[in-house]
Amino acid sequence: MAKSEEIVYINSEGKRVDGRKVDELRPIKIVPSVLSRAEGSAYIEWGQNKALVGVFGPREALPQHIQDPTKALVNYVYRMATFSVPDRKSPKPGRREIEISKVSGEALERAIFVERFPNTTIDIYVYLFDSNAGTRCAALTAASVALADAGIPMRDLVSACAVGRAAGTIILDPCKAEEDASDAVDMPLAIMPRTKEVVLLQMDGLIGKEEWKKAFELGIKGCLQVYEIQKKALKRKYEEIAEEEEKTIKQIDKELKKVEKK
Amino acid sequence: MQGRLVIPGELITTRRMKLGPHVFVENGKIYSDTVGLVKIERGSVRVVPLQGKYMPKAGDVVIGIVVAEEYSYYAIDINSFYYSFVPKEEIKIPLKKGTIVSAKIVKVDEINAATLSDIRVFRGGEILTISPVKVPRVIGKNASMLNILKKGTGCSLMVGMNGRIWAKGGNIELLKKALAKIERESHLSNLTLRVQKMLEEEKKKGGAFGKK
Repeated sequence: MAKSEEIVYINSEGKRVDGRKVDELRPIKIVPSVLSRAEGSAYIEWGQNKALVGVFGPREALPQHIQDPTKALVNYVYRMATFSVPDRKSPKPGRREIEISKVSGEALERAIFVERFPNTTIDIYVYLFDSNAGTRCAALTAASVALADAGIPMRDLVSACAVGRAAGTIILDPCKAEEDASDAVDMPLAIMPRTKEVVLLQMDGLIGKEEWKKAFELGIKGCLQVYEIQKKALKRKYEEIAEEEEKTIKQIDKELKKVEKK
Repeated sequence: MQGRLVIPGELITTRRMKLGPHVFVENGKIYSDTVGLVKIERGSVRVVPLQGKYMPKAGDVVIGIVVAEEYSYYAIDINSFYYSFVPKEEIKIPLKKGTIVSAKIVKVDEINAATLSDIRVFRGGEILTISPVKVPRVIGKNASMLNILKKGTGCSLMVGMNGRIWAKGGNIELLKKALAKIERESHLSNLTLRVQKMLEEEKKKGGAFGKK
């Protein structure tokens, strides 16, 4: 691809390609319990990324020889839809998808009390419908909400977020254009927010020690922001029902008062 | 709402307390391990979960469905991790695939497989399901909710701790409605009163069908 135009990654006002500040996330929307057939589910919109997660289990792991009598297996399946990228993606799971499935599953395994469910498997299916960089973070964030929605006991949620570098500046949550910069660094990071224990850390690109430290700190901050959104999403469902009920009770009281007056 | 709403990993208290279900300790602090409501009673703390699977517990009465008949045993699905196997010698009456039974769990081993006893067969009726974590709300304090449901719908009911409810006779459609309400609003207080009101209102509307 010939470079016809130079992209300005950070303009004079400190704004990025898509108008965000250097340490600003894309808008995130999480909705838990969207599927009726799955035991737990979540839908996430992270900027342009869209993903749907379904959780099943813990259920008996079959065939029997894969069972582990000391803990539950975590089977994380990350798949991208054929229409989620500009050119058609082959529906066959590729090297990238298999790798992401493995590392994300291991990240979640750390948070789940797997030792309480011997011989079982917890299946997490993540499907991406639209993508624009940072899909593994979006998927992992949604998966941990779906796990909580399924009522699976966990030490903590897992919050994920990417940090990167474009045109010499450390930025939070890079989008596709920023990921394609000539000096780009992309570092997906997932933590358990309470202890700030890192459960997933990958990196692509070349970066110095000092810069890496800066990026890591920014990443943790981003993850904590994501955590607040997850927390709200999980609680909102129940608070909404409570508010609705309060309204109907008030209405009934009003009607009763009217009848009394008459 | 009844108690504080917490999510997995959320701090409940830093005080020392007796631990109930769905809490864990890390560095002397008590955290929740699930989405639920905090209950603190007489120095012990627990979280009442709002979602979750059925974990078999010794002493529970559950409702099972016979899924297979083999030479010497029956396999019974109790909505848990594995089927439970009951030797034919223990049951006098022959069972068939699809028979609804109630059973008492006598033992749960380290892989959460349950041993059953006191098999009772149910004839006719219908099986309704709700989330297993909401069964205590269907029963209520001193079975208050259960009595209201029985009175309001005229059904004879049998509630299994595994989230299955056997119902026969009466107004089953109304019962389904009431159960949906319980499931939706299980985290709110005064649920018994509201279900009672709902049943009364439906009765007024229902005419002959509701009078049963």
